[in-house]
Amino acid sequence: MEFALISALNGVTYGLLLFMVSAGLTLIFGMMGVLNFAHASFYMLGAYVAFAVSSHFGFWTGLIVAPVIVGFVGMLVERYLLPRVHAHGHAHELLLTFGLAMIIEEVIKLFFGDFPVNYQMPETMRFAAFSVFGSDYPFYRLFIGATAIVMFAVLWYLLARTRVGIVVRAAERLPAMAEALGHNIPIVFMGVFGVGAALAGLAGAVAGAFYPTNPNMGLELGVIVFVVVVVGGLGSLKGSLLASLMIGLFSSFAVGLDWSLANLFSLVGLGEWARSIGGLLTLELSSISATIPFALMLIVLLVRPAGLMGERN
Amino acid sequence: MMQTRNLFLIAVVLLVLVAIPPFLELDWQNALVNILIASLFALAFNLLSGQAGLLSFGHAAYFGMGAFATLHLMQAIEDGLVFPTPLLPLAGAAIGLLIGIVAGFFATMRSGVYFALVTLAIAELFHSLTPHLQGLFGGEAGISSMRMPWQGFSFGSVLEVYYLTLAWVVLSILLLWAFTRTPFGRLTLALRDNEQRVRFLGYNAHASKVIIFAVSAMFSGIAGGLLAISNETANYALFSSHISAQVVLQTFVGGATIFFGPVIGAVSFTLFAYLISDLTRSWLFYQGLIFVLVMLYAPMGIGGVLQHHLRDVRRKDWAQLAGPYSLAALGGVLVAGGVIYLTETVSVLFGEEYAVEIRNAGGVLPNYHLFGFQFDPSGIVTWIIPVLLLAAGFGILMKGRQAILRCWETLGQDQAESSEEAQPQGGAS
Repeated sequence: MEFALISALNGVTYGLLLFMVSAGLTLIFGMMGVLNFAHASFYMLGAYVAFAVSSHFGFWTGLIVAPVIVGFVGMLVERYLLPRVHAHGHAHELLLTFGLAMIIEEVIKLFFGDFPVNYQMPETMRFAAFSVFGSDYPFYRLFIGATAIVMFAVLWYLLARTRVGIVVRAAERLPAMAEALGHNIPIVFMGVFGVGAALAGLAGAVAGAFYPTNPNMGLELGVIVFVVVVVGGLGSLKGSLLASLMIGLFSSFAVGLDWSLANLFSLVGLGEWARSIGGLLTLELSSISATIPFALMLIVLLVRPAGLMGERN
Repeated sequence: MMQTRNLFLIAVVLLVLVAIPPFLELDWQNALVNILIASLFALAFNLLSGQAGLLSFGHAAYFGMGAFATLHLMQAIEDGLVFPTPLLPLAGAAIGLLIGIVAGFFATMRSGVYFALVTLAIAELFHSLTPHLQGLFGGEAGISSMRMPWQGFSFGSVLEVYYLTLAWVVLSILLLWAFTRTPFGRLTLALRDNEQRVRFLGYNAHASKVIIFAVSAMFSGIAGGLLAISNETANYALFSSHISAQVVLQTFVGGATIFFGPVIGAVSFTLFAYLISDLTRSWLFYQGLIFVLVMLYAPMGIGGVLQHHLRDVRRKDWAQLAGPYSLAALGGVLVAGGVIYLTETVSVLFGEEYAVEIRNAGGVLPNYHLFGFQFDPSGIVTWIIPVLLLAAGFGILMKGRQAILRCWETLGQDQAESSEEAQPQGGAS
């Protein structure tokens, strides 16, 4: 019971963090058809900018400055780099963002070194929110989750209830038509790219203070974020929320479970036989917890490429 | 279609590759082995990405499996199996073909971004699963073996391994080249350009793509097998996304649209890594920068630019072009100098050693050494140098570029845009 509750809480907060990063990626893909390989690098950039700023001006300043700078970088990329390769097709856009991801990682290594930096939450936030079954639950995890929820609410309000949101949704659906109606679509695209990048930057700034901040964090999170947006459906915000929570819960539960296929076989009395075979059959769930998301992604891509919530087209 | 000039060129390259290595030092021989393997891997990858238009982000899977299969065969030979050592890469080929058929069957059900994601997922599946399979992949440590002598060849020296690799790579490249000349190879190009029409003509598009995928995976497997023979060891890191990324980089910098383009990329990147990685810690940064610049200014890659210039070499007035080109090259060199200066300065000033020096100096910024000179980090000269280099370089580059564009226009060439910039690449490297 203790395991279930703690895992569920951790899973939800991790899932919400994943959602913060994947929201921007899926928005950008839905609108421009660009699968941004550099998106997870924006997350990493956010963490490092926040680290650099907060060590001089305090934690909260870092939290505000990081998304602004990262969003600005995102806008520059969209405005000056992507259009240059647009004529050569989506493959080249993919390759360009892929190269940018490499450059961002190397620039960070250049300035901060190829090792984790000491980016910490302020002491005032380092307390237990409540205690369950005798163990304290850190307040900061709840803070990460709350940030994501606030962000989702604001994003949803902007998209669904404001004039700007209407234009953005129109630009996503029929860009040519929206442009013909007099809206400045290139600015809208740039804005969406910037906001998406800023969200990833904010996620990095918030999460970097809790999880380790190192030059690999972009790559590590990047592949999982791909899984999330594919499983949720490329371009679907709701889908990526659902998939984020699923993956988050799954990864926090899986690390603590030692189920294997052999256990499954022993239900029908074949346990000993399965254990004697070894290999895949005796792998414990905890040790393949990193594998299952990719298997899930593969199955979704092959069976239902539109994802859980995406529209078929 | 092969002109005598090309045949002659290939013969010369082959002769050099056969005759020179015995006179080279050991680490150069090793570097050449790696260059050959990288070239084959990039060509195999390009069969899929360049010719069939299917961008794979997970080719490390087939490369790695080829290496592991070959190592298992080597272990079996150690235990007494009779098998000629020179034919070891056949194990890599077989497993590559097999896994290529299975993976290709699923991956080619999708196209575009979705295809790239499927291949990425497959490679990540291998990468995350293999460290936990102790028996087949030796866990995190990996597996290793020894090259066994065969028919008077001991395969003990790097040189023997080099010639074995050379033979396999040349044979594979010949086969790959011949493959593109077959009617089926032509169909590959058609699939890239207009799949709908191919299907309308009565071909089974999915089956064709599976075959191309499997052939590409098979040659990747051979490359992996050659690596296993050379290193005598392999671990799960072979499946990492870095390997998949490297081959993408090399192929597209070299030029995916021409047959030997990926070789150019593989040779230059492997050489670059070999030469530069000793000199500076930031070589991966330069590599990424070169890749992005090529994507931005020469989307057809170095090979594309070369081809564009060589197309009708005699009809052009090279004397007229020489001026603007050298001007642009000068600008490129200046810009590159500025970028390198800044990068290395940052690398020193933000490095750990310098942090210790600051502490020792009591908070003042001490002078630092770079390129054999001493610089004062708070001095004005230190920062004026890169600003001047960059400003002058960009100015000259822009001038040269305009002059080049004018030249091409007056030469009556209509493909000026692909030649547009050979300079930024030269400049960045």
